[in-house]
Amino acid sequence: MTLLSVRGITTGYGPSIVNRDVSLTLGENEIITILGPNGAGKSTLLRTIVGLVRPRAGSVVMDGEDLTGRTPDVMAKRGLVLVPEGRRIFADMTVAENLRLGAYARRDADGIEADVEVMEGFFPILAAKRQQKGGSLSGGQQQMLAIARGLMARPRVLLLDEPSLGLSPLLVKEIQAIILGIGARFGASVLLVEQNAGLALSVASRGYLMQNGRIVTCGPISELKDMALMRELYLGGATEPAS
Amino acid sequence: MLPILIQQLLNGLSIASVITLIAVGVTLIFGLTGIINFAHGEFLMIGSFVTWLAVQAGTGFVPALVIAILAVALMGLVLERGLFRFTLTRPTNGFIVSLGLIVVLQHVVILFFGPNQKSIPRPLAGVWDVGGVRIASVRVMVILVTIAVVAMTFVMITRSRYGRALRAAVEDRDTAALMGIPVRRYITGVFVLGSALAGLGGALLIALFPVTPFTGGTMVMKGFAVALMGGLGNLTGAVVAGLILGIVEGFSAGYGFSEWTDAYSFGLMILVLLVRPNGLFGGTSGPKMA
Ligand SMILES: Nc1ncnc2c1ncn2[C@@H]1O[C@H](COP(=O)(O)OP(=O)(O)O)[C@@H](O)[C@H]1O
Ligand SMILES: [Mg+2]
Repeated sequence: MTLLSVRGITTGYGPSIVNRDVSLTLGENEIITILGPNGAGKSTLLRTIVGLVRPRAGSVVMDGEDLTGRTPDVMAKRGLVLVPEGRRIFADMTVAENLRLGAYARRDADGIEADVEVMEGFFPILAAKRQQKGGSLSGGQQQMLAIARGLMARPRVLLLDEPSLGLSPLLVKEIQAIILGIGARFGASVLLVEQNAGLALSVASRGYLMQNGRIVTCGPISELKDMALMRELYLGGATEPAS
Repeated sequence: MLPILIQQLLNGLSIASVITLIAVGVTLIFGLTGIINFAHGEFLMIGSFVTWLAVQAGTGFVPALVIAILAVALMGLVLERGLFRFTLTRPTNGFIVSLGLIVVLQHVVILFFGPNQKSIPRPLAGVWDVGGVRIASVRVMVILVTIAVVAMTFVMITRSRYGRALRAAVEDRDTAALMGIPVRRYITGVFVLGSALAGLGGALLIALFPVTPFTGGTMVMKGFAVALMGGLGNLTGAVVAGLILGIVEGFSAGYGFSEWTDAYSFGLMILVLLVRPNGLFGGTSGPKMA
């Protein structure tokens, strides 16, 4: 069953077009990935899907509802949530405040408090740092907080933009386990954007390969791994596999 | 000497109250939207004229004050939706738009009311004599109303869920939007709140002094001086700097240099900014756009 359907998205900034005619689908309880080199337009696509950038053409349909052109707060209410590249933690606010901001679109005060505890259970470091400023956390801790903050919205689709960026191999393994647990624990589907092909290929069931703003190939991970282009770009390259 | 000094201090603080209301509005609007609204003084002046109009029409001062707040808030809403929202990504344009607005608003007021000064009867005529100090109750009223309103604003910004969302939007607008915060609507809300404070300031001002269509200009200069002294974008800073201004103006008048009052306040501002370029409490550079 298709949960999120992105059709023919063309998008960019000002006069420059970044993505052309990009389509993808994400099913219920699925983890998919978009791989591609730096500057390919992966972040721009994610920012367009959640409404931070307005698409020039194409549509974003979630669960049958056309959400094209809606603002990010509406997307969050509908369960479409982005954990942005670079974590973007509110540095002047405490870990607890960051978590509660993640639930801003929700109205169920009791459910929010219960979920704060759930997150502190799922990410123990957040319980230990509850009253510390977000800016004082390490990169890995900030990434945990960013994912937990995203999950606080109780998303149905979680978009993760390069969660492994700048993290040590050990932390990447932790992120890998967390992503694999998101479906079971929170019932959300995941669209993971990565440059760390090892991580992406180990958690996703399907993948899309993006170059110069377009999807150049897509398919099940097992097939992607065999492709000459993938080998050339990633598997023989310097990227460290996560497992 | 002392009774006169206390009286002058009270005078200084009552004027500073109105200026603080401007500074708080300017600082809130800049902090969240990056807009430096130079026409904020004209918003205040229009608040005074609306108050005058309502009193002329026979309402009491309190209903007139409420009408002034609502009218200027509505004007802020219309201008934000119709003008300033288009300048959000280019604050410099907002700045120029606001300069143009000064002229437009002044001329609209002159067109309807003429260039002459307007005044209303003192809403509170009582003068208390406390041990030789003559205290005009209207001045006390202005100071108390300002304290109450600024305290409410402060609690709203620092304590409420709404305030936390505003602070998030100041820190990182895009990420705040990702949290489900309707940032655009909140920006409009802050602009309207700042405008409402100017409307209130206008009503309080005409309770103290006659007002002309050009009053906004002088008042907003001091409002900006106070906002800058406190640190543009910093609410606490605006309040403390407003208090300092009130005391300085009170004392300078109390010691018989009333004609130098303005020079003192701007001299103080320059001094503060030389020593602390970001203001007493550290300002922001407006919201981060990235
Ligand atoms: N805010 C922006 N304004 C203008 N151009 C941008 C902006 N963000 C990214 N770009 C450009 O869009 C292209 C794609 O960037 P991005 O989507 O970040 O790629 P990726 O996430 O795949 O590394 C790059 O050429 C980049 O310079
Ligand atoms: Mg990117």
